[in-house]
Order: sequence, then structure tokens, then C-alpha cells
Amino acid sequence: MILSMTDVIKRYRALTALDHLTLNLQKGEALGLLGPNGAGKTTAIRVLTGLTGADTGEIKLFGKEFSGKNNSDSMAIRKRIGLVPQDLALYETLSARENLEYFGKLYGVHGAELKKRVDAALEVLGLTDVAKKSPKKFSGGMKRRLNIGCAVIHKPELLILDEPTVGIDPQSRNHILDFVSEINKQGTTVLYTSHYMEEVERVCSRVCIMDAGRVIADGSVEEIAKSAIFEESITLEVKDPAPSLPESIKKIQGVVRCEVKNRAVTITSTAGSGNLPRIIEVASPFVILGVSAKRATLEDAFLALTGKSLRDGGEAS
Amino acid sequence: MKSFLAVFTTATKYCWRDLTSVAVLIAFPIMLILVLGNALAGFISPTYDFEPLPVSASVEAGGNLETFLQSGESSQFMEINFTTRENAEELVQSGEVYVAIIEEDGEVTVIRARNSGMNAMIPISIIDSYKQIGAAMTIAMTSGGDFTELAGLIGAELSVTAAPLGNRVQSAIDYYAVTMLVMILLFTGLNGLELFKKSMFSETGARVLTSPVSKPVLVGGLLAAATVTSYVQGLITFFFTMFVYGVYWGENIPLVLLTLFAVTLFSQAFAIVVLLLCKSPNAAMGVMQALIWVMTFVAGGYVKIDFGAAQEIFRYSPNSLAHTIIFGSAFGGNETRMMNDLALLFIYVAVLFVIAFILGKRRLTK
Ligand SMILES: Nc1ncnc2c1ncn2[C@@H]1O[C@H](COP(=O)(O)OP(=O)(O)OP(=O)(O)O)[C@@H](O)[C@H]1O
Ligand SMILES: [Mg+2]
Repeated sequence: MILSMTDVIKRYRALTALDHLTLNLQKGEALGLLGPNGAGKTTAIRVLTGLTGADTGEIKLFGKEFSGKNNSDSMAIRKRIGLVPQDLALYETLSARENLEYFGKLYGVHGAELKKRVDAALEVLGLTDVAKKSPKKFSGGMKRRLNIGCAVIHKPELLILDEPTVGIDPQSRNHILDFVSEINKQGTTVLYTSHYMEEVERVCSRVCIMDAGRVIADGSVEEIAKSAIFEESITLEVKDPAPSLPESIKKIQGVVRCEVKNRAVTITSTAGSGNLPRIIEVASPFVILGVSAKRATLEDAFLALTGKSLRDGGEAS
Repeated sequence: MKSFLAVFTTATKYCWRDLTSVAVLIAFPIMLILVLGNALAGFISPTYDFEPLPVSASVEAGGNLETFLQSGESSQFMEINFTTRENAEELVQSGEVYVAIIEEDGEVTVIRARNSGMNAMIPISIIDSYKQIGAAMTIAMTSGGDFTELAGLIGAELSVTAAPLGNRVQSAIDYYAVTMLVMILLFTGLNGLELFKKSMFSETGARVLTSPVSKPVLVGGLLAAATVTSYVQGLITFFFTMFVYGVYWGENIPLVLLTLFAVTLFSQAFAIVVLLLCKSPNAAMGVMQALIWVMTFVAGGYVKIDFGAAQEIFRYSPNSLAHTIIFGSAFGGNETRMMNDLALLFIYVAVLFVIAFILGKRRLTK
């Protein structure tokens, strides 16, 4: 076990930011930590990197108790972790290269090895051309890439990323997602927090959904989607649907509802019933203009589990 | 050691890299000295244009002290009203003169007016120097020396210390360069706070703090960077005033530089203690600024404030100590007192660092 948090409680005055949080991470895994604003994702990361103390609970990293104190055990553990903070954590008046070098040095990488790793990181992150420039002049995406680069110069065994793609263009986002996937493939264990389902689905093998300081679902992307979704919906577009059509569809096993609105016939059935072929068969005497089936997504699961959309003001669809 | 150097060099680079802030760092103090120095001189105290300072004196008629005070070297700095003891004391109590010089039974005392601030410092330094020469003279006389030669010695001694001033028209800048630079250096603790804020309290700080660098090494590196940056900033201002504006800093430049260094260190140590007590760097910056202004004003010399009996205590404010040493060095002040004051400044620094260490340790183990 690379990381285990057990029953961790963290309070800020009256507010319980982490409420008996339990979280485990196996070696080589990429875990997505999803949760709406204020769920406690950042707090969980602050606690497990020793930036804030937990009120109660146990935190183990690499099999050892981690106190976050200034002792040699903690230092040895810190060396094996890379953190990408939620906000940009760079020195604006230093160049990209100097930023990378500095954080490398803090983790004990020096000399020729440092130069080699910094060059490699600049290359992979697509920042070689701007290595001498200060991040002040960077685009949002470039800053984010550098922000990640600074956390990996020392080749951490555990990489923790706190919403690393906030506010950037799709290209940079892809770049970052590929980078994280690649690093995970090479054996780095990854903890990835995000508001974005697509990112987590793309990068992570396992997902934890957090709300109000606790984990409310834990499993693979498919498992969570299945467990949380009770209904699936299929919409047929039919030319002149007769009243007999919904009647016959309703007879199919697993179908809960069938509603007709002009040309649209919307059929709701229980999750995993696999009714699409049977419905099409029943509807075959009619002219079918279109079929749309909505697979259960993590987003739906999230909505079903928390009653909240993942992002403030975001569409829950 | 390697990580200390990494922190130190990176933090120093971080401070100096930003061109606009470097410009501000260097140009601002110089502007401050020029503009404020001249403005204050004009508005607040015309005596800074080096009109001789009003002083009252009750001395033995025809004695050594009278001869000394009547010499050109003394009257260049002081306009002396020779009078009775009672009158001399009255004049200083009413504030009409900055100091009263009283000689009684060969014992010379200087009474300082309550609100005299920095103005009193020059007469005091001059009398200090007289006392030293006086001691030398007494020894010479008891050993059968010639008085007239010794009288010349008094003048000679004084003109050595005051000679560089004679080469140019003195102006307010000579005074304000000293007091302003001391004040500016006292504020450089803010450089340190800025560095601590960035490297320990921001999101960048989160990244630094999760790295395997120990807190003492981190704090030490940042502190060293802030000290070097601040001192170099002070040196640039110092040499600028000296060579471009011809400000007179006295003969003993190493002593002045050491004093300025002590002031820089004091400010850094003070900043850390304030930070440890305040918890947030922004709060610390506010508190620090307020306290430095207080220290600056109680030290006097900028505006005249009547502090009453507290005046004696305020002599021990770090600015006051630094002023005493630097003016003393320029005007032949009492060496023992200058050395004591310098030692006291370094003791302040040491005490502050010890407090910072204890507070920091408590913070770490909490
Ligand atoms: N230093 C603090 N003092 C007081 N309350 C805090 C502090 N830090 C976080 N909180 C509160 O703890 C809760 C959890 O915050 P946290 O930042 O961990 O959420 P998050 O899941 O990271 O949210 P986001 O997606 O917006 O980043 C929030 O209600 C927040 O207001
Ligand atoms: Mg967060």
C-alpha cells in the first residue's frame, strides 16, 4: 500500500472538512478523486502531505506512519512524493528552467543529473523553446505544464495532482493528461483530483467520489456508473407513432416508462437491461428516423450519489 | 549545505530578477533621501541647513572649555550663548537651545532639551570629543606640558574630524542621508517577510514545504538571501549618497558600514520575530511597518516631538543607536560610547534571533 488514510478527521472550527475519510492507494494505481467544490479534496491532500495536521486518524505513506514533522522519517517520505498544488506554485521572476532546477535541488537532485532531467522535462512538456522565459509571460496552459514539471524532476513514486488542468485550452489539457497517463504507465502511482469526469475516465483506473469530507463511492469507472444508476433511457424518433407502439414497448421486460411526445418516444428501463435490440424489433413496423441511447456516465452517477452537479453551475446531464 | 545554497541563491535571484522592483529597491531610497531630506530641511527645521545650533553654556571664564568653545571649529557648529548656570538651564528647559553645557568644578555635563531630537547629537558629540582631548590634556599638563601647544591640539584634533565637512557647503543632505538610510535599512525586514510569504505561506510555499528541505535550512537560506539583498541595497544607496551627492559619512567608513550591517540584521531578526508572533505574513508586514515608524519617530530628528522623561529610553531605539555611532564617527564623538552602542545593536540582534529560535522551535514541535 502506497498510501492509506484511515478515519481521518479535520475540522476548521465548526466546519468538518474531512469526516472520517478513508482512502487507500495501491502501488502503480491511478486514482481519481472526484468531488464538488468544497468536498475536501484539497484538504485531504494538505493533510496527507503534512501541510496541515489532521485532528484524528492515521496516515501511512509507503507503509510508514507519516507525521509531517521535521524528522528524518518524514524527510525520507517527502522525497518520494511529488505535489502539484491546485494553484500555480512557481517563482514568477525566475525562468522556467530555474524553477525546475530549484525544485529539483530541493529534492536533492544536483549537477549533471539535474540538467539532464530538466532538459528532458522541458522537452516532454513542450517548454524547451521558452525555457529561459519567466512564467509571467506564459499562457495559462504553459504555466500549468510547468507547474506539473516542477513536481516530477525528482521522479517521485507518488504523484499527487490537485486539479492540474483548471482554466486551460484543450491542447494543453490533452498534453497534461497524456503526460500523467505516461508517467503512470512507467510505474508512478497517481492521485488525481478533478472536477472533470472525462479526465478521470481517461487517466485513472479507479475513482473515489468525495462529498462533504467523506468518500461516498469507490471503484472502477464502470462499477461506479452501474452501481449508482438505476435507470437508462433510450429515445426513438419515429414517423407517426401509433398509440399501440408505447403499449407494446411497455410489455418488454425491464421497461419502466414509455412516453410519446410528437415524434420522440422516450423509453426508460432499469439499468443494465440491454433492451435496445428488443425495442427496435418492436418498433420495426414503424419508420425509425433516429435512435439515441444514453449510457450511464460517471457524471450521472455523481448526480445520483450526491444530488449535486460536479461543477458549480455546470449542467448535470 | 547544498539545499541551503539552493534556497539562498534562488531566493536572492528571485529578489533581484525583477527589473522594476530592483529599480524601486535602489531608486526609491535615493529619492527618499533627496526629496524628503530637502523637504524636511526646508519645512521643519532650518537648522539642518547647518546654521549653527543654539546652545547655552555656563563655563569657567578663561578656562580651557571656554577657549575650546570659542574656537572656529566649535562655533562652526554651535551658536553659543555664554551665560550663568541658572540661565543656561532655563534656556534648555524652555527649549530655546538644544543643549546646555555646564562646567562645574572641572566636571562637564551636557543637558539635552526635551524635544531636541537629532539636533542635540552634534553638540553632544563635540563635547564628547572635548572631554577626550581634555583627558589627554590633563595628562599632558600634569607631566609639565605647554598649555598653548595643547590649546592648538584641541583645535587640531577637532579640525581633523571636521575637515571633510569644510570642503563643501554643508546641507541637510548630510544629516538626512544618515537618518534616512538607517530608517530604510530598518524597513528591509520587509524584504525578508516578502520572501517568507512567497516561499512558506503561498501555494509555492506549499510546494517548498512538502519538499524534504528542513525548516531551519529553509528559514536560514531565506534569511541569508534577505540580509544580503537588503545590505547590498543599503550599500548602493550609501555609495550613491557618498560619491554622487558628496554626503559626509565621517572618516571611519568601516565602522559606518558595520553599523549599517547591524541595522540590516536587526531588521531581519525583528521581522522574523514579528512573523512568528503574527502567524500571517501580511499581518506581520503591517505590524512591522507600524513598529518601525514608531522606532523611527521616537529616535527623533525627523520631526520634533516632546517625549518628556521617555527621551532617555528612546536613546536606546535602534535608530538612535545607529545615529549616535555614525554622527559620533563623523563629529568625533565618544569612542567608548560608540562602541558600546554598536555592541548594544548586535546584542539586540542576538536577542531577537534567540527569541525567533525559541518561538520557531515551539511552532515546529506543535
Ligand atoms: N484553511 C481553512 N480554513 C477554514 N476552512 C477551510 C480551510 N481550507 C478549507 N476550508 C474549508 O474546508 C472545506 C473543504 O475545502 P477544500 O479546499 O478541501 O475543498 P475542495 O474539494 O478542494 O474544493 P475545490 O474543488 O473548490 O478545490 C471547504 O468548505 C472549505 O471552505
Ligand atoms: Mg481544491
